[in-house]
Amino acid sequence: MAVSESRGGLSPGDLWAAASTLSPRIQHLRDQYWSFYDRTYTNEVRAFTTGTAWDTVYSMWSWTNVPETALFLPGFRSYLLAAATRVELPHHFWREPLVVRRALFFREVLRQYLPVEILEGELIVGSHLNTALSRCLNKREARERDHAERDFLAEWHQLNDSGVGNCAAVPGHLVPDYRKALRVGWSGLYYEARDIAEAPDATAAQRDLARAVMICADGVRDYMRRNAAEARRLSGQGNDPTRIAELQEIARIAGKVPWNPPETFPEALQALWTTHMLLMAAESYPGPGVSPGRVDQYLLPYYEADIAAGRLTRDTAKEWLECWWIKHNYVYDYQGWTGTNQGINASFGQLITLGGIKADGSDASNELTHLMLDVIDEINLLEPKPNIRLHAKTPEPLLDRIVDSLARAQGSPFLLNFDEASMAGLRWQGLPEEQLWDYAPVGCLENTLAGCDRSGTVDVNLNLAKAIELALNDGRDPATGKQIGPQTGLASDFESFDDLWHAFRAQLLHLADWIIRVNDMADAGRGRWEPVPYMSAVVDGCLQSGRDSNAGGARFNFLTVEGIALATAADSLAAVKRLVFEEHQIEMPQLLDALRANFDGHEPLRQTLLHKAPKYGNDDAAVDALARDISRCWTEAVFQHTSPTGKRYRGGYLSWNYWIAYAPTTAATPDGRKRGQYLSNAVCPVNGADRKGPTAVIKSVGHLHLASAPNGASHTMSFSPSLLRNPEQRAKLKGLLRAYDKVGGTCLQINVIDAATLRAAQKHPDEYRNLLVRVTGYNAYFAGLGKEIQDEIIARESHGL
Amino acid sequence: MDSSSTAAATAAASAPLLRNLSVTGTTFNIQQFSTEDGPGIRTTVFLKGCPLRCAWCHNPEGMRVAPDLMWYDVRCIAARECLSICPEQALALSQSGMQIDRARCTLCGKCVRACPSAAFELIGKQWTAEELLDELLKDQVFYETSGGGVTFSGGEPLTQIDFLSEVLPLCKAAGLQVALDTCGAVASDRLRRVLPWIDLVLYDLKVMDAAASKAATGVSNELILDNARLLAEHGTPLWIRTPLVPGYTANADNIRAIADFIRNCLPSVQRWDLLAYTNLGRPKYHRLDRPYALEDAALLTRGDMEALWRVAVELVPQAQWSGATC
Repeated sequence: MAVSESRGGLSPGDLWAAASTLSPRIQHLRDQYWSFYDRTYTNEVRAFTTGTAWDTVYSMWSWTNVPETALFLPGFRSYLLAAATRVELPHHFWREPLVVRRALFFREVLRQYLPVEILEGELIVGSHLNTALSRCLNKREARERDHAERDFLAEWHQLNDSGVGNCAAVPGHLVPDYRKALRVGWSGLYYEARDIAEAPDATAAQRDLARAVMICADGVRDYMRRNAAEARRLSGQGNDPTRIAELQEIARIAGKVPWNPPETFPEALQALWTTHMLLMAAESYPGPGVSPGRVDQYLLPYYEADIAAGRLTRDTAKEWLECWWIKHNYVYDYQGWTGTNQGINASFGQLITLGGIKADGSDASNELTHLMLDVIDEINLLEPKPNIRLHAKTPEPLLDRIVDSLARAQGSPFLLNFDEASMAGLRWQGLPEEQLWDYAPVGCLENTLAGCDRSGTVDVNLNLAKAIELALNDGRDPATGKQIGPQTGLASDFESFDDLWHAFRAQLLHLADWIIRVNDMADAGRGRWEPVPYMSAVVDGCLQSGRDSNAGGARFNFLTVEGIALATAADSLAAVKRLVFEEHQIEMPQLLDALRANFDGHEPLRQTLLHKAPKYGNDDAAVDALARDISRCWTEAVFQHTSPTGKRYRGGYLSWNYWIAYAPTTAATPDGRKRGQYLSNAVCPVNGADRKGPTAVIKSVGHLHLASAPNGASHTMSFSPSLLRNPEQRAKLKGLLRAYDKVGGTCLQINVIDAATLRAAQKHPDEYRNLLVRVTGYNAYFAGLGKEIQDEIIARESHGL
Repeated sequence: MDSSSTAAATAAASAPLLRNLSVTGTTFNIQQFSTEDGPGIRTTVFLKGCPLRCAWCHNPEGMRVAPDLMWYDVRCIAARECLSICPEQALALSQSGMQIDRARCTLCGKCVRACPSAAFELIGKQWTAEELLDELLKDQVFYETSGGGVTFSGGEPLTQIDFLSEVLPLCKAAGLQVALDTCGAVASDRLRRVLPWIDLVLYDLKVMDAAASKAATGVSNELILDNARLLAEHGTPLWIRTPLVPGYTANADNIRAIADFIRNCLPSVQRWDLLAYTNLGRPKYHRLDRPYALEDAALLTRGDMEALWRVAVELVPQAQWSGATC
């Protein structure tokens, strides 16, 4: 059966391959990227050590927010160290303070060890960014650090293994001040640091950090000199005059930027890439969520100048842009041997932000926004991941363009961020009103200010549904019998819904306190033993304060607690409220028995819970109000906490893949869910619980009043392609987006795929290897996902027809 | 959940004494984010009751005004609560499914409330005009951003003319754009009564030959054609809709005759939708224990649809086709 005007006649390859309009150069570069098994260059992880017996090149506490890898962390740590190259250290190395040691070490790696390779046909250079760098600790520091990490991991296991959640000192995850790095060049950053280092009233901490930044800047300059030399060497060997000219231009640019400020669009792209890739390298392995931010804003002057001067045409500028674009994808080489079809752990969200507003509130989209949308349509690659900021004044042609892209993509080529709701959250969080317009999301969708805000995201991930389980079991985990929460009374003694609510609230706040206390251990350790002078050079506030970016030196410092399973928790409370306390259809002891038995032998009761209670996602005040109360309860509570490095905790809803990870460790819930069935994802309804279509879901999300979760909230909706089959129908989706801006959440991802296509892709992964979908805030190739998540995506209600 | 009776009781208790409480509407569905029943994003109200008995009808639960009891085999978990609670002993469960003795069933709804897995549904929810308006206003923001509104469909919505006369003025007063989706087989004065509150009429023209119309839909079509002319004279914007059903309406002569009629008599037609026959209604007949005339009918092919569309568009350029084909 075919739906009229669908694209049933096209083969999968036609649908998801790059467009045929790519230039031969870009097509070649794209193919080169995809040829991991054949190419000689790979960007696999390169580890570098000081050579001491106690060295560490991999921090386990950085990755404990990926619980499925927990078992492997000690292995990663020891294998990487065993494989590490020993770096010759300057003689004064061990006499320097730690932050300077880190800078010296990085500079040595950039000067002598990080390979320099220019790929055939490329115009933007700088290839090796996946590293594992020594933490540069002396023996005493290493002992203290490892001790702290062990203590942290022991506590972490208690949280994770009981299904409460996880936490980590997550690297990366910020929008650095690339705008400034382009404006003043690394020489400008160097001189600014020198002025601080030489100021008579500078503190020791200011002087140390400033010296460390100067050393990093040296390293950047020297690394690009090596690239320039390599380009000259290759140009001397070549016999293709076009390529020789290109290599000479590459050598010229590499000799100039990013040490000197760029003056043309190609120079700006090279300066941006170098600054970015070295930040990824400095963060190690590489740093995830390092997000370039509003590139269509800060690259525009360079683009316009080149077009005006006739140095570039739109097409030649696009080719430079696409050369830059492809480079970001090489981060995935780190897992090349386990499959280049990157799966759900593909978390290197190098987010770029398009559109949005200017300081005066007017629309900020421009020619470069549209050029980048052309690139997104054509190139079909995972990185960089685009988010588009929509707002009340988004021009109609841009919205048309976006909806057309969605219609063509068979997947979700970008996320949509909604300015009004996003800015309301940042305002709630206390960021200065005059800077809110310039926010940009990080990683997947996490809203932060650009260049001055170390907002840390996905640091802490809290399973809200666990508090339901504890409230019904007097604080005991029914799986283990352990008392992990306060004793809030036997549920069979609850006389009213208020009793249950108070118990739930007490459990939830206890879990939030607990998980934050554990995260504080990782944050304190990272702040003390893992300074990041390179990052600190491009985060406003660090040099001035003399505090490293990891130690709370940025102008604004936050850590984010992401809520998991909001709808599962809300539906559970609503079911007990309606069926036990209001309609008396179910007795509490009967419910508790059924939950304890995981509903075995209680199927009629489970069906009653599923069918006779209100469910979040249907614009039903009876349950949406409870969801809002839960959300306000924990987000307001975590905002009262500040970490040892002075970072304030704030809430959000990303829930990554945790709604699957914690399904087995969350007992049966009164919404009718059995242990092991997935929890709800971010602010989405429980799968299948939304019965009234997309408008009702959007209204329910709007009812949450998400300002108190300023990090932002992931909301995924899937639509059948028939909704976008012609301009008349596409206009309806535009209407839906305009309304979302008024009533909905902060961030929406739209997948336009029919279930039949997905099932075919599951069966024939090779034919569909380019099928790109969005999963809770990040892109993934469908064929590379685990079967559970594939099933989940297929099961998602397809709205529309 | 069957909250209609309690909701009605609450409304009765709190309503002003002067209001006529006897007028309530009966719906078989309220469809939000309706994208196929008029411009923009809409909420479509499906009112029960229809004078026609089209052989291909995909909403058989909309035919009569009275409630209909439906049983969903896929939801049944054989909890058997319904069997013991039915006061008329009208239910029996066997290997082949639930047998409902519809002669004995009084539509009391006890089985619906008793069934834990919602395998029974009593179709026919009661609304006061105010309650329905509240429901429709839930999506007002979406209507505004998309140029949408509400569509009253059915069944035949004009069957419930008294309720429509109450709710339509409320919709207009609330600033909603209102479309009426009618089969036209109603007394003309009913149409005249509601026209002041209607912005657009979706009008069905199915079979042009009177005898064939009678055979296919149970009624002759004179009244339908008269009412179409009446709307055109009134200047009401019209979207004509023709289901293309194999063996009934999907032939070139019929399409040409409808096209002639539109071109000659209906100047206010803005578009003409040719809708491919859908068999989505088939399971509903089974759930209602009713025979379905098109049990084995195949869907039309894309070629069939395009050929008929070419006949239509030759005379009526506003013609377009949509729907599932095989």
